[in-house]
Amino acid sequence: MSKPSDVLTQLASAVAARAESARDFVVAIRVGHGRHISGLIWQAGVVVASEQALPRSEEFEVIAPGGAVITAKAAGRDASTNIAILKTASSLAAPALTAAEAKAGAIALAAGSDGEGGASMRLGIVNLAGGEWHSSRGGLIDRRIVLDIDLAHREEGGPVFDADGLCLGMSTFGPRGRVIVIPFATIARVVPQLVREGRVARGWLGLALQAVAVPDALRQSAGQSSGLMVMSVVENGPAAQGGIVAGDIILSVDGTSVHRFRKIVSHFGTDSIGRTVEIRLIRGGAVITVQTTIAERQAA
Amino acid sequence: MIEVASKHVFAARLRVAVHSDDPRRRAALGKALTEAGHVVVGVEDTADVVLGDGSYPPGETRHTVVLGAMDDRSRGALPREADASQIDAAVRAVAAGLIVRAPLARERGFGAMRENDGQALLTPREAEVLGALAEGMTNKAIARRLDISLHTVKFHIESLFRKLGARTRTEAVAKASERRRNEMILL
Repeated sequence: MSKPSDVLTQLASAVAARAESARDFVVAIRVGHGRHISGLIWQAGVVVASEQALPRSEEFEVIAPGGAVITAKAAGRDASTNIAILKTASSLAAPALTAAEAKAGAIALAAGSDGEGGASMRLGIVNLAGGEWHSSRGGLIDRRIVLDIDLAHREEGGPVFDADGLCLGMSTFGPRGRVIVIPFATIARVVPQLVREGRVARGWLGLALQAVAVPDALRQSAGQSSGLMVMSVVENGPAAQGGIVAGDIILSVDGTSVHRFRKIVSHFGTDSIGRTVEIRLIRGGAVITVQTTIAERQAA
Repeated sequence: MIEVASKHVFAARLRVAVHSDDPRRRAALGKALTEAGHVVVGVEDTADVVLGDGSYPPGETRHTVVLGAMDDRSRGALPREADASQIDAAVRAVAAGLIVRAPLARERGFGAMRENDGQALLTPREAEVLGALAEGMTNKAIARRLDISLHTVKFHIESLFRKLGARTRTEAVAKASERRRNEMILL
């Protein structure tokens, strides 16, 4: 007769049971040279992966739960939210995923693929659960979720569950190797667009910009102390056609000051494409206004 | 320790074979190596280091530096867009028996847009001075190029050091390039 189980053995068997069921949500995506990354089975025939980890190939071999090798096409990528999707050639059963609410201190289980049709598991807690944020590529991420979990590169892109088995989102690497979660809500918002069009349409001017201080002598006429200096202009892009040149310091777009990047980024959503905007900038010591029409960003 | 320190671990002039399928890339890489003081030799010749472009040179057994390689076989691995100074440093390091890796984009990770808090932003003039520093120009040369006094150049450099938290010119250039990578916005 076995000893009555205490809290630790109960935890151990609960985690093991989660690992067992996590298997049905993860695939391995082969990336060459015997290596793989992980993917999350989002819906029947659609696998979600970490965009930054997915090589730029058209077709991949995917190891389904249980070990069957199937082919999958890269069907869409959005670097701004770090979400890529693969469509599998043969059908891939998708167990139902339910969104979890992230709370700091809550138990988190990150699943990856073992490369043979099974799941590898990581146990930790949600280190930080904050509000929405914008990625450096301009995408809106619904929650800031940081885990206190170590992850191997082969596990990146797998699902992260809470103690109830609900899904927090997809694991990925943030700066300095920290493990963060692309939230369920962000995936749910972006995947339908990727399935439909293969990309998330965004407005584009064809500019590389860097924040600079407005020289003292111009602060009064500029009405602000910082702007975005044009470092380079894409040839024949919308900004180039509007006459914007390297060295210009952009002050505002349609009256919104650029001193907050987020505000500016929100001007370049899907609905901005085709809209003519007024750009106020400093050139040669004078403040001038130019007009240009926002185009659609080309695939990176 | 003194004996070790006095040895020149990094040879000044290396024989480097360049392996690239693209003649223009081969020429550009050869030029970068020559300008760094190395001798470019044929792929079949005796070489200290082989510089590969895009993929590992098939069957190569010598020390290699590979640009844009998809695998880890090479002693030296740099991104395809590595600049001349990085290639020079990698070739020398690999010849000295070291392993060279550049941080990959994915190792930098998926991060947040930095909000510009208005603090420590460089002025356009400071950015120009920084560009000149990156080219290795002296204060005198910078003053001539920007048509400002030597005193003003020194003033801008002090301000740059303060804003970037740097103590030397090299450090200022490195920190500014790190900043640019993190803070460049593409619209």
